[in-house]
Amino acid sequence: MIEFDDRLRAIRDRHREAAEDLRSRALAIDADPEAMEPHLDSPAYLMIRESSMPAAHRTSATAAASPDRGSCLENIVGLVELFRGDVGALLACPSPALAGVFVELLGDAAQKERFYRRISDGRTWSFFAMTEAGRGNDATAMETRLERDGSGGWLLHGAKRYIGHGARGGVGVVFGRTGRSALSIRAALVELPVPGWHAERLDMVGLRGAFLSELRFDGLPVAGDMLLGEHLPVTRRGIWGALTTFNNMRMQIAAAAVGTALAMAEYVAEHRKGAPGAEPVAARAEAARHLVYEAAARLDRSPERGYLSSAAKLGATRMAVETAHWAAAALGPAGLLEHPLLEKWTRDVRAFEFMDGTGNIQRLHVARGYRSGDADA
Amino acid sequence: MSTSLRQCERIARDEGLAAGLAMAIAGAEVATTAPGRWAAVPAESVRAGAEVRHDSLAAREGVTFLACQGRPPAAPASLAEIGRLLAAVRLGLVRRLLDHAVEHLSERVAGDEPLIRKQLITGTVADTMAEVELLREQAHAPHDPAALSDLHLRLDELGWQVLTLFGAAGYLADHPARALHVSFLVANTWIDREGVPE
Repeated sequence: MIEFDDRLRAIRDRHREAAEDLRSRALAIDADPEAMEPHLDSPAYLMIRESSMPAAHRTSATAAASPDRGSCLENIVGLVELFRGDVGALLACPSPALAGVFVELLGDAAQKERFYRRISDGRTWSFFAMTEAGRGNDATAMETRLERDGSGGWLLHGAKRYIGHGARGGVGVVFGRTGRSALSIRAALVELPVPGWHAERLDMVGLRGAFLSELRFDGLPVAGDMLLGEHLPVTRRGIWGALTTFNNMRMQIAAAAVGTALAMAEYVAEHRKGAPGAEPVAARAEAARHLVYEAAARLDRSPERGYLSSAAKLGATRMAVETAHWAAAALGPAGLLEHPLLEKWTRDVRAFEFMDGTGNIQRLHVARGYRSGDADA
Repeated sequence: MSTSLRQCERIARDEGLAAGLAMAIAGAEVATTAPGRWAAVPAESVRAGAEVRHDSLAAREGVTFLACQGRPPAAPASLAEIGRLLAAVRLGLVRRLLDHAVEHLSERVAGDEPLIRKQLITGTVADTMAEVELLREQAHAPHDPAALSDLHLRLDELGWQVLTLFGAAGYLADHPARALHVSFLVANTWIDREGVPE
């Protein structure tokens, strides 16, 4: 079990305060994810914006209790608290998000500057466009392609699906392949508006704040200096960065599952005192929280070993769905209609299964990690 | 009530949630029978002017929620019967969507083979049908509240298991798998699980 020092406690407590603000916005964002203006300068969003930007792009001195952007554990400790506020409201916040993690890894100085300058206004969403319809997270089967334009640049053709904030993004990362091998998968920094870009929001069952979208590229021009990783060795340019980013992303989804489960358990305890099963449900959510912390700490030590992060994502997602089923029953007949926040969470938790690798993909990772000795590392 | 479990399962499998729900509650006085403040009913059965709660996903399944008295002084026997019939409806929906999932997974290829041939997927299909066969027998059991509650909790889990077979597509609001999300909400209004130990 991870022992909290003063710094981790301070991070947790600061994020806990912001969680209340997020929760107060949860139902409005779920009902109309396009109406974001009332939320963009909220205390929680300001805090998230400040702590997710590099120092040069912050608008005020960051409080000491902001997570170190390089520490997975510190970020996850903060995120669990924010997700406990509301996962949809948090994901609706304009921030560097996954694209930021990737640009940090693979971007050169000019690309980072361009990316962060664009999103520093707190009103610009970023996107990370990898997934394609029918391909899930199998990046190596990607069909979107980058074709040379004959004058040093590229033209992007293809389509992406389930891309967060795709239809309202301002800048982000789009993956495509320049050839047939896995090493030919590259990522381009794309800033809007740009010709050849077509985007539409998808109507989803839940997690509507994430604004999952469908994208299509029809000869979208990409300048030669907008391919990420050009300054790195060939093996580190594309898919390596994506896989490293996915290890990070997986922890965030696990944290979302834990945070939402904790929220549901607490909600039922508050509204239906003495509900049967409340104690074991809360204990399971707490156990998942500690597992997620442990996996984050292990990822900080060995960023490329994903065994425990896969186990945490698999276990936390399943636990969160079971908690949702229990909570719905515990509030009594028609409880979901009388408690719309809980009803929303029961929809939201079902998104975690397919985000950053389905349960079956995680099962394969866990089994592979176990066979290679990672369970005892 | 003479409607059989088999009929409810069949109509839900063939025609979907709203048709199954209509059969499960046929003949019942909804407003005085339902255990909570709201009860799921087929939208087309609602009289003009009745107080209803709209839900965007449920509406697409042809289901709405009718205001009820809530907490009838003594749960009528017909409520337990509705609970069993609704279980059959949910089993029919699981079959309907499992058929759909198998078709979808047969067309979708990963590596060089259809996903339906992957062992983890085959395992889920088999587990789903084994659970369907078991829960169908459980729905025939005597009207014990704890058993009925357990039956619907297992149906919640079973519906979720089938949903995972669709990946992200099953989370699209206009995908047929939506019926499984809505059936969870429907059961929540008709099954009184309060006070039943986990």
